[in-house]
Amino acid sequence: MTTQVESPPQRDLAAEPSWWERVNKATVAMLGVTVALFIGFGLASPNFLTFDNMSNLATQVAITLIVAIAMTFVITTGQIDLSVGSTVAFVAAMTAELLQLGLDSSLVIVVGLLAGLFWGSVNGWLSAYQNIPPFIVTLAAMSIIRGFALLWTEGFSVPIDRRLFVAKIGEAEFLGFSALAWIALATAVVGGILLSRMRFGRYVNGIGAQEESVRRAGVNTRRIKMITLMLTGLAAGAAGILTAARLGSGSANAAEGFELTVIAAVVLGGTNLFGGRGTIVGTVIGALITGMIANGLTLMGVSPFLTPIVTGLVLIAAIWINLRGRSLAQLFSHLTARRT
Amino acid sequence: MMSHESTDARAGDTLVTLEGITKSFGAVQSLRGVDLRLGAGEVLGLVGDNGAGKSTLMKVLAGAIRHDAGSITVGGRQVRFHSPADARSEHIGIVYQDLALCDTLDVASNLFLGREPRRGPFVDRGEMHRQAAEMLSTLHVRVRSTHQEIGELSGGQRQAVAIARAVSFQPKVLILDEPTAALAVAEVRQVLRMIREVAARGVGVILITHRLQDLFEVCDRITVMYEGRSVEDAAIADLDIETLVGMITRSNTTTEEAA
Ligand SMILES: Nc1ncnc2c1ncn2[C@@H]1O[C@H](COP(=O)(O)OP(=O)(O)O)[C@@H](O)[C@H]1O
Ligand SMILES: [Mg+2]
Repeated sequence: MTTQVESPPQRDLAAEPSWWERVNKATVAMLGVTVALFIGFGLASPNFLTFDNMSNLATQVAITLIVAIAMTFVITTGQIDLSVGSTVAFVAAMTAELLQLGLDSSLVIVVGLLAGLFWGSVNGWLSAYQNIPPFIVTLAAMSIIRGFALLWTEGFSVPIDRRLFVAKIGEAEFLGFSALAWIALATAVVGGILLSRMRFGRYVNGIGAQEESVRRAGVNTRRIKMITLMLTGLAAGAAGILTAARLGSGSANAAEGFELTVIAAVVLGGTNLFGGRGTIVGTVIGALITGMIANGLTLMGVSPFLTPIVTGLVLIAAIWINLRGRSLAQLFSHLTARRT
Repeated sequence: MMSHESTDARAGDTLVTLEGITKSFGAVQSLRGVDLRLGAGEVLGLVGDNGAGKSTLMKVLAGAIRHDAGSITVGGRQVRFHSPADARSEHIGIVYQDLALCDTLDVASNLFLGREPRRGPFVDRGEMHRQAAEMLSTLHVRVRSTHQEIGELSGGQRQAVAIARAVSFQPKVLILDEPTAALAVAEVRQVLRMIREVAARGVGVILITHRLQDLFEVCDRITVMYEGRSVEDAAIADLDIETLVGMITRSNTTTEEAA
């Protein structure tokens, strides 16, 4: 900065910067990876780039994406939610059990969503208001929530009558894409608007950067952190219902390791694991990458048991890229730190 | 003790008077009786050694902590602050040393944090950036764009944005706690110039600083604190740097023994 006495006539300070200046560079890199994967799998398997398979891919990605959108908010505030897989299983099992009891589908859907919201509120209250690190809270919740589902179902998979409305959601299609894919798309649009166009999203980013600054600006930061964990709970509830709908059954063993896929999708997309910088477009891309890897490997005739291995490796790679020079130890101490 | 350069008619009207302020944190008595007066359009330097109680006193005035005894008079009325919001409603603004900005948000978002202009349920970003640009240019704050992230700015620019944010609440009193402590020389000039600009609008500014040369550049008057007491109050025009250093360290004063 030079020190002229009179400032020169300011060029328009408020002018929108170019697209390139605004965009999250990590997201752009991952968009490149997505394109490369498309081309790679397209060349490796003639069935990959067909409309049917793309529609299939969208369905496979949908459930991950719905939860990943909510997880983007949680991670952007600098928190984490490890309990989403268990909540999916809990709500899936609950959905099947309640339908078996003869409850109406629409009531079951409402109850399922509320159950997810309830678990999210428990996580949110303990971390935001009791200052227990969300890493610890949701790690414990992960075990507790699935435990309840196992107790309830005694470990059995509970079938759902194919004629029920809930089961039909799993099969419904519109314009060649499944209802699941459309629901995921709608979630992404709502999430994108919430994160980048509304006050809530600004505070979510701000809290991830410097929570104290946001608090001093008069914002109830605890409430916002709690709401983000309620969002992952709610999204996991929706994902539980859709999982049951799609599989035609509810099982306490559903969605094992789901939290890892979700976190991988978010982190791959460029959302900063330390918080402060979230991107919904990135999360959509990240979810597509995780889904594409599973889908492409299957089409190539690789053993399906390889998928969790590859997903784990992708998660490590994503975190490694995301850390950008900071150590894993720093990340761990960040995630387990008490922030009052 | 009046402002020596301002010709503003309001200059000198007393904005704030603190009398006999005390504050203890458990066994530590941080403030043992402080008197202070601030006039409109005046820049008051608050100086003293580390631990003298300057920051604590300013937190009392900003409503961030409650004092034990003594009185605060604002605009002729005695007030008691229970929260920063109380102080804000009396038009007292403060910029803390840690600035209270968010690194990953852009300049405009930081200026409007917590009160973003809205259109319906959405943040009206066009309006927010337009107003931000206007705020920054009236205060001659130099940033490339209101879209720049705070984390990309220099220390001086960040300080300037924090001051601009405080000024935008239209305070009558603006407290700056060590605004130039970590800045390069050129940046110090920018901040000092901003302080003069703010005072010229009739705002009373309290400046805490260790850089004594800054005091001579922008202050009208100084109050010296020593071990939780206000011990000197003098027009800057009557002082030279050696006398001032003597006042701060109490090496050649004849006032009563320090406790
Ligand atoms: N929250 C607090 N709890 C206990 N002691 C405090 C607290 N804040 C300040 N002090 C003490 O009060 C004294 C004055 O501190 P401070 O106002 O920060 O001084 P200065 O800003 O002049 O350097 C110091 O001895 C400091 O340790
Ligand atoms: Mg201090």
